[in-house]
Amino acid sequence: MSSVEFKGYAVTDTNKWSQFSVIDFQPKKFEDTDVEIAITHCGVCGSDLHTITSGWGEVPLPLVVGHEIVGKVTRVGSKVKEFKVGDRAGIGAQIGSCYSCRACKTDNENYCSKGVETYASKYPDGTLTQGGYSTAIRGNEQFVFPIPDKLESRDAASMLCAGLTVFSPLVRNGVGPGTKVGIVGIGGLGHYAVLFGKALGAEVYAFTHDNRKVEDIKKMGADQVTVTDDKGEFANDLAQTLDLIISTRDVAEGMPLQQYLSMLWVHGRLVTVGLPDQPLPQLSAFDLNPNGCYLGSTHIGSKKEAVQMLQLAADKGIKPWIEELPMKEAKQAVERLKRNDVRYRFVLTQDLA
Amino acid sequence: MSQVEFKGYAITDANLWTQFNLIEYQPKTFDDNDVELRIAYCGVCGSDVHTITQGWGQIPTPLVVGHEITGQVTRVGANVKEFKVGDRVGVGAQIGSCYKCRACKEDQENYCPSMIDTYNAHYPDGVFAQGGYSTAIRANQQFVFAIPENLPLRYAASMLCAGLTVFSPLKRHGCGPGKKVGIVGIGGLGHYALLFAKAMGAEVYAFTHSNRKMDDIKKMGADHIIVTGNNPDFAKPLQMQLDLIVCALDVGKGMPLKDYLSMLWVHGKFVMVGLPDEPLPEMKAFDFLTGAFLGGSHIGNKKEALEMLQLAADKGIKPWIEEMPMSKAGEAVQRVKNGDVRYRFVLKQDISPIDID
Repeated sequence: MSSVEFKGYAVTDTNKWSQFSVIDFQPKKFEDTDVEIAITHCGVCGSDLHTITSGWGEVPLPLVVGHEIVGKVTRVGSKVKEFKVGDRAGIGAQIGSCYSCRACKTDNENYCSKGVETYASKYPDGTLTQGGYSTAIRGNEQFVFPIPDKLESRDAASMLCAGLTVFSPLVRNGVGPGTKVGIVGIGGLGHYAVLFGKALGAEVYAFTHDNRKVEDIKKMGADQVTVTDDKGEFANDLAQTLDLIISTRDVAEGMPLQQYLSMLWVHGRLVTVGLPDQPLPQLSAFDLNPNGCYLGSTHIGSKKEAVQMLQLAADKGIKPWIEELPMKEAKQAVERLKRNDVRYRFVLTQDLA
Repeated sequence: MSQVEFKGYAITDANLWTQFNLIEYQPKTFDDNDVELRIAYCGVCGSDVHTITQGWGQIPTPLVVGHEITGQVTRVGANVKEFKVGDRVGVGAQIGSCYKCRACKEDQENYCPSMIDTYNAHYPDGVFAQGGYSTAIRANQQFVFAIPENLPLRYAASMLCAGLTVFSPLKRHGCGPGKKVGIVGIGGLGHYALLFAKAMGAEVYAFTHSNRKMDDIKKMGADHIIVTGNNPDFAKPLQMQLDLIVCALDVGKGMPLKDYLSMLWVHGKFVMVGLPDEPLPEMKAFDFLTGAFLGGSHIGNKKEALEMLQLAADKGIKPWIEEMPMSKAGEAVQRVKNGDVRYRFVLKQDISPIDID
């Protein structure tokens, strides 16, 4: 039985969304299937920002966000097989599901209609989930991922949402040698898509509207880097070329969606991992039928994919481009993220305990 | 060398889209890869109406529409091995492509960027393609389909666009035993989707706006019928249940797309085969969070056309058609515009009639 305390940096007023106050909070009631983790690192995700600014809707307060969590196991329930005290483990954007539906039984737990999110979500018993800008967390074993020895905690942290969210559609859509993948928007998620796309053996075409990032993106390994504008002429040379496009764009206004779709080979797919507050640009059926393309989204990834991803990262020495800050600097991190002033992910180091 | 004449019922004034006038016109310049046929029947497609009403854009006149064509071969080019004079054949919504790009080489000729539509398109040599409300047509053999012996030409006709346009996505998405397939909109295309999906062994959920068509839809074999009009919660009982939805609605903005997407199992596809004049509904990325996809589709390839026709012949699939003389094209297109058809018009060529079944 551990004696971790549960304290975190919380937002108490969404009108003052970058002001964090330390609070004590009630964790999930510990169950036989749970793993408890003393947090060492937590990445800062765009979701955190969408949430605390109430861009995605009202939120319960006070709220501790953060769902790119790594730490050390301090306690395991009697039914837990995979972990023991002292192991390094992580938790991403999901922390529960129903465990019994078709989705849960087919390695699609990230699509369970009763999924519980790592923060701002409720367990069946009413407990509010509080996230990883904190000292500790408890989660069902299904949502706890082992961190390979060769992968440092600070590098693994932001893989658990950003990394997994792009890794899942990459592998589910057959990305590998011989395939051409476009990545639109090279930020936290986008840079992971470039790194993983290359690690999986694909030819990677990166699209950014910021020409200051071109050198970095080449260093990340992209085969081609295109600086885009909202008119979309850049798409003409790549008509019917790409097998898959992952769009990480967090802003729908001015998005040249038709032009992106036109770059897809027959039955190619554009998967938007970005979840803008606003509606997508309006499409007509004629934007989809010249190449029979598909538009879709995706939700995090399964545990199988998380484990596969972490192992790939360890094996290939994949290093994300992160900037570390102490957790008490969460204010700076979220404000700079709002201004897009990050290359390419903040990772907070836990400093409360 | 045949002596067919090329005459057809054309729109000569785009403002009078139900008034067809008989014209003579220049056909495609015959080449070694071509097949020429006398037309027996031509189906009336929604595309014909979208085109002549200029819902899809301005048209040149005179214009002969029609791209669900069946008839009899009268002439074949020197390179044509598959057909001989007298064969029963059909031509659908595409009549040419480039034959050399990646799409053409990978059985995706229906996605060739240089594709030539059966009407309202130009050949590379400038000749204007006129459609099947006419006596005859010439087409590259790639776009000519043999009609099985036991499939009457009047049934095969509307399979060549309506049928193929739904058969291709059904086939490409594994429609078959164990699969739950939704068909939205039971009109010309939708009723074919229903008939084919059942023939392929799937469990079919038919979505229709009102009660009007319920008896027909039962007879067509739908396993489940869901009326969507005045029923805002229609999708709730079917959350994440369907593997595939083929949407043959001619409706854009007004369609409850989010509700349809919510009925798809993880990574299920909603394939929009309808091509409304207006845009699709507003969408948010959140509408796709079950991993569902929204897609388009364009006709089908020749392999699929032949497979479809063989399936129809083998299973005795009979479309629900209403036959009319070709001279009544004006009445047919008006009734299609009004949605007053059970479930496809087929025009019998009456300019220089041909006696063939």
